[in-house]
Amino acid sequence: MTTRTPVLKDKIAIVTGGAKGLGAAIAVELDSEGARVVVTDIDGDGAAKTAAELARGESAVCDVRDDAAVEALVADVVARYGTLDIMVANAGIVTITPLTEMTMEIWHSVLAVNLDGVFSSVRHAGRAMAATGGGSIITMASITGFAGSPLIAHYAAAKAAVISLTKTAAVELRGHGVRVNAICPGFIGTDMVQERKSQFEQALGIDDFGAVLDQAQGRLGEVGDVAPLAAFLASDRSRFSNGSTFVVDGGMSASLV
Amino acid sequence: MLSDLKDKRALVTGAAQGLGRAVAELFLERGARVVLTDIDADLLEKTAADLGGAAHAVVCDVTSEEQVAASVRACVDTLGGLDVAVNNAGIEIAKPLVEQTEEEFDRLMTINVKGVFFGIKHQTPAMVASGGGAIVNMSSVAGLGGVPLLGSYCASKAAVLRLTETAAIELRAAGIRVTAVCPSFIRTDMVARLVNPFEGATGANFDDLVAVKQQRLGTPEEVAEMVAFLASDDAKFVTGSHYVLDSGLTGSLF
Repeated sequence: MTTRTPVLKDKIAIVTGGAKGLGAAIAVELDSEGARVVVTDIDGDGAAKTAAELARGESAVCDVRDDAAVEALVADVVARYGTLDIMVANAGIVTITPLTEMTMEIWHSVLAVNLDGVFSSVRHAGRAMAATGGGSIITMASITGFAGSPLIAHYAAAKAAVISLTKTAAVELRGHGVRVNAICPGFIGTDMVQERKSQFEQALGIDDFGAVLDQAQGRLGEVGDVAPLAAFLASDRSRFSNGSTFVVDGGMSASLV
Repeated sequence: MLSDLKDKRALVTGAAQGLGRAVAELFLERGARVVLTDIDADLLEKTAADLGGAAHAVVCDVTSEEQVAASVRACVDTLGGLDVAVNNAGIEIAKPLVEQTEEEFDRLMTINVKGVFFGIKHQTPAMVASGGGAIVNMSSVAGLGGVPLLGSYCASKAAVLRLTETAAIELRAAGIRVTAVCPSFIRTDMVARLVNPFEGATGANFDDLVAVKQQRLGTPEEVAEMVAFLASDDAKFVTGSHYVLDSGLTGSLF
């Protein structure tokens, strides 16, 4: 039956920021759909731990702030497998910092990973894919890229820029068979969110950040809510989607109130 | 597996042809049982027969609240419940706005907007009784921006997005997700009918426009894949959102 055929059989994928959270869940999902996944992270042990859970996984250390390292990663994968079919530019960081207290150092530290890192991933993967017959690039944006997001000005600005970058990349690369789409999650219960709940509560003057999210999203998201979307966008089933944003937020951004 | 719809009980409106038919066909392939509705009884019978034993035909004019309610009852009677509904039935008018008549405008709005409203309204209690569900509404990139000759169609598809968002928020606690799909130009009879009026009114070559803006026409099967994803449990945290498929048309300034 066609429904039982893995949709990513024998596809070669790179997932950045794959040591934990969304990146790890996406690596597991792509693997379960038949892809060979190269899990990368600045935390090499974490990447190896994720890769160990995969049927066909391997890992590599990669700091996406280092453009030459991203270029070398892509070149290595293409040299060994002859192709790169899927790039998930997922690596990202955050701090909880009011705008007026945000030093240039903090600002640039987040932009370096969340925007520069995505740019390097898109440009090197895009070039390799264009040369080998096409592929699917998935960027990890966020609903914070669409709306004001208190205490994370750097993160939200980077995600808005990632959405713009995704659209331009899609249009520039579509003639070469390369698709570029952005996933925009709401608040997902990863370490990134869980470990900062009390900081949000303190800075926003609220008692229970979880209750605020329950009201806005119905519930806190889970990494498993997002991972199948990445597999869909990576697969040929979404072959007419390009330059689009795909929101997964339990309805948070659909409501004005 | 991705976008599995095994044992889902589904209703698709406007299913005799075009996008609706493609959605029904893919749903069946993914394991769903499907009630197809359409106003064109003859074509609907033929389509349902083509699609085989798990496809059931129910004639329905979506502008009649009574008929929409009856089609949902028929679905529940036939399939034992309702898990997925696709509000797809719609028409177009391809004329400059100032040439569209009140009757034409009202008819389009009644089918494209009120038909979706009736759908959501009557599908909801059946889904609540089934323990939750997913509604996917057919919008369009025409709901996101202006298109010459399609003024009333654009307005109707924008209205579908606002209905989708509000329904998503109101129905979330009931376990019902409501989403929309926004295709650009797809290889359907509806788009084929646009070519002559469009070229006559704008002087532009339609094929060239498609090639520049979206490389090629999309296919009904590609739209159906996105509907199937949104209808499936793989999209369990997606609600109130509209997913575009347009090969970059709305993503580019040029």
